[in-house]
Amino acid sequence: MPYKLFDVSKPIPERKEHTYVKHCNDPEDCIPKCNSKTIPGSMTERGCAFAGAKGVITGAIKDVAHVVHSPIGCTMYGYGSKRYPTTTELPDGSEFPVKDFNIKYIIGTDLQESDVVFGGMKKLRQAVLETNKEFPFVNAIYLYATCTTGLIGDDMDAVAKEMEEELGKPVIAFNAPGFAGSTQSKGHQIGNDTLFAKIVGTTEPPATTPYDINFIGEYNIDGDLWLLKEYFNEIGINILSTFTGDCCHNELGWMHRAKLSVVRCQRSSTYIAKMIEEKYGVPYIKTDFFSTEYCAENLRTVAKFFGLEDKAEEVIAKRMAKVGPELDFYRKKLTGKKVFIFSGGPKSYHLSIPLHNELGLETTGVSSMFEHEDGFEKMKDRVKEGALVIDDPNTLELEELIEDYDIDLILGGVKEKYLVHKLGIPSLLIHSYENGPYMGFEGFLNLARDMYSAIYNPVWNILEFQETEDPDVADVTGEVAEEVEK
Amino acid sequence: MSCVNLIEKERNAIINPLKTCQPLGAMYAVTGIRRAVPLVHGSQGCSTFVRYSLSRHFREPSEIAVTSLHEDAAVFGGRRNLIEGLQNVAIRLNPSLIGVITTCSSEIIGDDIIGFIKTAKKELAEKIGEEKTEKIKIVPINTPSFVETHLKGYDNAVKALIDHIAEPSEPNEKINIIPGMVNPGDIREIKHILGLMDIEGIVLTDISDPFDSPLRPSATELKPYYPKGGTTVEEIVDSANSTGTISLTKYAGSGAVSLEKKYNVPVELGPIPIGVQNTDQFLRNLKKLTGQDVTDDILDERGLLIDSMADLSSRYLHDRTVAIYGDPEITAGMARFVGELGMVPQLVLTGASNKEFVPDIGKVAKETGVEIDTMVGGDLRQMEVYLKDNPVDLLIGSSDGRLIAKEAEIPLVRIGFPVYDRVGYHRHPIVGYNGGIHLIDLITNTVLENYYEHQHWKLQQ
Repeated sequence: MPYKLFDVSKPIPERKEHTYVKHCNDPEDCIPKCNSKTIPGSMTERGCAFAGAKGVITGAIKDVAHVVHSPIGCTMYGYGSKRYPTTTELPDGSEFPVKDFNIKYIIGTDLQESDVVFGGMKKLRQAVLETNKEFPFVNAIYLYATCTTGLIGDDMDAVAKEMEEELGKPVIAFNAPGFAGSTQSKGHQIGNDTLFAKIVGTTEPPATTPYDINFIGEYNIDGDLWLLKEYFNEIGINILSTFTGDCCHNELGWMHRAKLSVVRCQRSSTYIAKMIEEKYGVPYIKTDFFSTEYCAENLRTVAKFFGLEDKAEEVIAKRMAKVGPELDFYRKKLTGKKVFIFSGGPKSYHLSIPLHNELGLETTGVSSMFEHEDGFEKMKDRVKEGALVIDDPNTLELEELIEDYDIDLILGGVKEKYLVHKLGIPSLLIHSYENGPYMGFEGFLNLARDMYSAIYNPVWNILEFQETEDPDVADVTGEVAEEVEK
Repeated sequence: MSCVNLIEKERNAIINPLKTCQPLGAMYAVTGIRRAVPLVHGSQGCSTFVRYSLSRHFREPSEIAVTSLHEDAAVFGGRRNLIEGLQNVAIRLNPSLIGVITTCSSEIIGDDIIGFIKTAKKELAEKIGEEKTEKIKIVPINTPSFVETHLKGYDNAVKALIDHIAEPSEPNEKINIIPGMVNPGDIREIKHILGLMDIEGIVLTDISDPFDSPLRPSATELKPYYPKGGTTVEEIVDSANSTGTISLTKYAGSGAVSLEKKYNVPVELGPIPIGVQNTDQFLRNLKKLTGQDVTDDILDERGLLIDSMADLSSRYLHDRTVAIYGDPEITAGMARFVGELGMVPQLVLTGASNKEFVPDIGKVAKETGVEIDTMVGGDLRQMEVYLKDNPVDLLIGSSDGRLIAKEAEIPLVRIGFPVYDRVGYHRHPIVGYNGGIHLIDLITNTVLENYYEHQHWKLQQ
């Protein structure tokens, strides 16, 4: 039987079809059920569509004011929750006046009971005007629907249109109330659809080159983009637009002018790459920049499109010389260690093979909160016989799998991290990273170093009080020092 | 003549809030009960964002269930979600109590929470039997997100727990403490004071262990994981028999008032024992309600704080200006304490709109002779703009002011919720005399580092 029902989930037997155990002979379509309604009260780790739209897609844009149309909670929770640093550089050479504006400010309508009864559109209009007065330098204002405004039926598009005319700058409504769809993934899609419909094709770039790409689904988590951008620049490839890490509003408008769309986060943003291809004929490729192997392979692919293969080889060789020796050290230390990847989406298939090939780790299992069928197929393909592939795992199941499987490290989020520690297992933040960036050559080294320090944290050896001292003291520090000297 | 200078926010929109919505307060309160599970009746963001917020502040698990309302529930109501959700939590987690916490969506849809709970209990009894079902207390907690703030949600939760569970029997000679939304270190300090006065307390509710629990796999309840500690359901039942209730915050006293009305348990509301005089008042309240004496041990602890103030205040802190922001009770308490330290509470700012805040600040203004700029229902952007023309020496408040502090080049002393960019703040008290000692050290060291270090010879002795 390729599916497994955790003991803790026996009272909700429908969980069985969400938990697949890899068998190499299973037919291809054998994957866990996913992207479907959550079982109420199952202790899910999933988030909402508003989180998907604001938190993931648009929250990384540097020169936009974000207005959350909600009672106070959603505004508070939309504030600085993701590690999306931004610069002040704008593509036309000018400077945006505030660094990390996207992290620093959030605006909300703070809806009250009377607004729920009589509607909140007046308040939203006022908030837009006040936002523009407070931050006149922003290049656009984005408005976000939430559960409340979805339910009371405020016509946010109408307010956006009216305000855009009045202010003479783009005002865009994102209609992704929290209850839309079964996970935050719905919010990603609405974010893509809205940005495509409202912005793409509305602006022209200050300059173009024959080597222009859209870098789609790269949000600059902890500086990922800045690292990858160096590689592209050195190869001679120009990132014309990033969707949406450290990008500006106008930049999204000229995505139709690129020669190629390079899709990084395939779950959250393949939508817009497809739409741009369909409407404007810009081809797209799906890529992967986690690990040295994938990074090199994908740099080659993108470079080949532009006939810049030799340059790519130079960049790869230079970076490998830089990170290779230290990675060798971590490979020795991590070989044979077992990891479970408890990610939101695509990291569960990006990481399993490189962690094995490059660092010697075994993947005991992978899971995802919001992946769809195509993602789960990749997840399944890239793990070994017997590995778990789980959709929407809940905390009880996490406990059971830690008890039943031999796991040395869990890659997960902040909601799981401290529970995992209580069970005596190290855990590393993989959504927003710990000492990132984790992408690219140097990033993979950071990830390896963080995994090593998590697993080899001396605390795991002294978890419990011992009645008698262990006479056989291993010289761990001496061994490490020796290795580094070599 | 009042010395409070009220500064109105000149816009309607909120920019960088200093408050959040009711459900967070309720989830916090339910987490303080032994083997209890908060079940949020709303969208998944309502639980996920709160778990994220609590976990990053406390660096602890925050296990919260959600009924996962999707579009169909938004159209047809969340009946099945709540009924199934309750049963799944009850059967899989075998809790002592489930707090059913509403949200904006379930309140707007108008779900009949009480009716759904009845149906869920009936269906549950068929599955696991009457006896087991009865053992699980299910408490409906209405927390519409569009009314007031997280403090109201905390207040509503504590009141709902008391109203549904407290039962009078024999007097127990205990004192009920409603701590408000404070840190584990604060509750531990309150319990320490009760211990020194030989008073037994019932903390409604006690998050001190659940949000600061030991990592000891061999002694941890697993599958499901429940943190150590928390107030037991039996203690909440027994709260009707206590000799009195002290709510450390007047913003969450409804439960205490309810106990007084229904069961004649006398009540004292606030102030939060931050600083010398507020802690003195807390001890007087304890003595009044229990008849227990203020012991020498406590007076010695008071003396340690007074000693620090004598040594440090006039020398390093005198006349330094401070802006304090956060929850109203903590902000008012801090303002009074910085006044006791000879500092100037130049600006106080709270995100809540509660009217009680202004008279509290008026009292501090009188005591200090300072005209205190006061923002009620304000936000952090308001403070940022204010500081450009009215700089201060020190900011005191949560991590959410960190970027403002950095840009204005004003050192920030972190207190309150949330603190996520430094560690350990949830462990150390700011209440009681010991909390005062911790605070004066924190404040003085910050002053030394920022205002004395460039003339290091002044730090030689």
